Amino acid sequence: MRPTFMGLETARRGMFTQQSALYITGHNISNANTPGFSRQRVNFQPTIPYPGNGINRPYMPGQMGTGVEAGSIQRIRDSFIDARYRSESNQLGYYGARSDALTRMEDVMNEPTSEGLSAAMDNFWNSLQTLGTNPNVSGARESVLAQGNAMADTFNYLSTTLNSIRNDLKQSISVNVDKINTLAYQINEINKQIGQVEPHGDLPNDLYDERDRLVDELSQLVNIKVTNQQSGGMPSPIAEGTYKIEILDHSGKSMGTLVDKNTIGGEPNKISYKMNNDGYVESLSIGNGSPVKVEDFSKGALRSDIEAYGYVDKSGKQVGTYPDMVDQLDKLAFALVKEYNAIHRTGFDLNGNDNKDFFQDLSDYKGAASKISVAISDPNEIAASLIDTNGKGNGDNAYKLADVLRKDLSEFVAVIKDPITGNDIDLKDYTQTNLKMTGNIKSFYGGLITSLGVKTREANTLTNNTLTLLDSVDRQRQSVSGVSLDEEMSNLIRFQHAYNASARNITVLDEMLDKIINGMGTVGR
Amino acid sequence: MRVTQSMLTNNMLRSLTNSYHKLGKYQEQLSSQKKISRPSDDPVVVFKGITYRTSVNDVSQYQKNMSEVNVWLENTEDALEKAGSSIHRLSELITQANTGTVTDDDRKKIDDEIEEIKKQLVSVANTKISGKYIFNGTDIYNAPVKYDGTTITTNYNNEAVNIEVSAGIQLQVNYLGSNVFGDGTNGMFVDLKALQDELKNGNDPDLGKFIDAFQGHLNTVTSARSSIGASMNRVDMIQNRLDSQEIIATKTMSENEDIDVEKVILNLQIQQSIHRAALSVGSSIIQPSLVDFLR
Repeated sequence: MRPTFMGLETARRGMFTQQSALYITGHNISNANTPGFSRQRVNFQPTIPYPGNGINRPYMPGQMGTGVEAGSIQRIRDSFIDARYRSESNQLGYYGARSDALTRMEDVMNEPTSEGLSAAMDNFWNSLQTLGTNPNVSGARESVLAQGNAMADTFNYLSTTLNSIRNDLKQSISVNVDKINTLAYQINEINKQIGQVEPHGDLPNDLYDERDRLVDELSQLVNIKVTNQQSGGMPSPIAEGTYKIEILDHSGKSMGTLVDKNTIGGEPNKISYKMNNDGYVESLSIGNGSPVKVEDFSKGALRSDIEAYGYVDKSGKQVGTYPDMVDQLDKLAFALVKEYNAIHRTGFDLNGNDNKDFFQDLSDYKGAASKISVAISDPNEIAASLIDTNGKGNGDNAYKLADVLRKDLSEFVAVIKDPITGNDIDLKDYTQTNLKMTGNIKSFYGGLITSLGVKTREANTLTNNTLTLLDSVDRQRQSVSGVSLDEEMSNLIRFQHAYNASARNITVLDEMLDKIINGMGTVGR
Repeated sequence: MRVTQSMLTNNMLRSLTNSYHKLGKYQEQLSSQKKISRPSDDPVVVFKGITYRTSVNDVSQYQKNMSEVNVWLENTEDALEKAGSSIHRLSELITQANTGTVTDDDRKKIDDEIEEIKKQLVSVANTKISGKYIFNGTDIYNAPVKYDGTTITTNYNNEAVNIEVSAGIQLQVNYLGSNVFGDGTNGMFVDLKALQDELKNGNDPDLGKFIDAFQGHLNTVTSARSSIGASMNRVDMIQNRLDSQEIIATKTMSENEDIDVEKVILNLQIQQSIHRAALSVGSSIIQPSLVDFLR
């Protein structure tokens, strides 16, 4: 026998459940523009049918449905797309930061323009040629002094500015490390909350979304691998559990764990880095793990910043995009100053004196670009002449000085003290063997600019490529998880109608019961 | 594939940004007239650009040097021409004084004129251009010939003044005064002194030897002038070469880095229409949703 009032309960369940679905639809609509939000849906499921199994079950044909309930509220998400998104986002983080750093360097070098170092060297050459032509004209002398100062200033400016950007990068490294650690902390906290909710069989969808958003952010900075770890208690079969987040090295092997089940009670493992005495990044480590060299570290914005800033490579050399450029400029300034002074010393100034330096002498090439400065202040002390007495009309040495900027490094004549051994050594040998310079001053500089251009172009291209890929993955993700207002509106109508129909069902049952209670058994009355 | 409103709007925003980026690039190219503004635009063009700019710079500097060469040569040639005509006049006077019919009084007058010509020659030997004595080698601040009214002392500097006119090519631009005017033991001024002494002696001197001597000096001046003429020819050739080098270097530089204006304007136009199309598509993709049709 079926119970008399069973239909009422079924209809009530219908109304209740449709109502929950309406609420969830409302939640979806409200969050249509929330970053990282995935649409949610109510998983409708029929309640346990009547009668249940058992020895005392009433004999009746078949089981009768008892209505509906909201089995679970699930978010619509594809974790495979998430993994792809994170791997692209990691690439973008690396190349984007690299492209930023190189673009800033391009801005500083300011080539090709009429204000860059190349133009400053050309102007200096022009002034020396004019001096050679008019060795007695004080204007020509003043001009050499002014252009010499301008060129030295340009060297100083480039060196100082590159170094100050390098300091910004140092800041950026520390900010990025802090960011990783903060994100790890936040993810750990969310893991904790999820771990408290899930054992009761609930699905903390909004916490999942927030956690995924944080993991996306983290993936820009370092390459990570995410594994789900089941919560204890009685979790729902579709519960996602807590995240274990490992940092991967350049070959995709795990280097250490930032966050997992074990860190839930306390602090996540922190990333830290060590710098050597010269301020180059020596190694990075995760938690208490062993230190890792930068080349083995995971790709991402952090690695890119470190590469631009400077680090100690596996062979122990200190390298980096910015220090390398400063180093090359130092070499250039050093070779220029040494050869220029050597030629200058062989000439005679207006007072007939020789053996004078035009630029402040340098003992080592390191820091030359920041130290280069004009040593003389009296334009009459420029040694334009090759004749000591009555040679004021001779400008041959000015031409030789101009030629320093044009002649091949292999034709350099200066003899310098080797900075390490202190022995006399030919500048041309020193520049070619020790400093690895080729061509002339101008073409060496041209080479620097070209290689900067090539690197920047590569970084820009890769940034654009990964951006396109990321966009495409993001579209796929939106396609799965994004809220469509049209869809929500049609759902709204669906659920509303079902709700109305359930209500009508109650009216019908009410009329039925009215018949039973008030209309039946009136015969004897 | 499930497509939502926000996917459409995001897509439109993205393509608008790209479109603005391209518009900006073309505008930058048009306003700077250069294909490139930074090394990463095209590293090869930039590298070539640095080299080509240097050659354009160098050629124009050598042209400036060249004009200084011309100043030297033209002034030297001008001075020597004056010296030539002075010597020519001297020869006439000597011939006149050498005839037997001239009285001592006339000789005195001739001597006076010779004195003036002598002063003229001294000033030619001391020609100055923009503060430089051009016949005194590199010792440009000291006069090579000094005349105190009675005696002439000479002190020539014989160093060359060179001007670079092309990479590695230097031209000597000064003509050594000692070669034209001679020094204290022989040369023009010594002969002049001897001539004046003879004239002052009176007694109908024989001046025949002086006619020959000054003919010789005139020849020296003429040959000096022709050697400067030859230098000027060479200078002209170098000048022509520099001119054509300038054209070639400028053309190479321009071909390397300058934009093809028509092409960029056309591209800009195309991009503008694309941009307009993108905008109009944008206005139509923000469609009314189901909400607008439900009551």
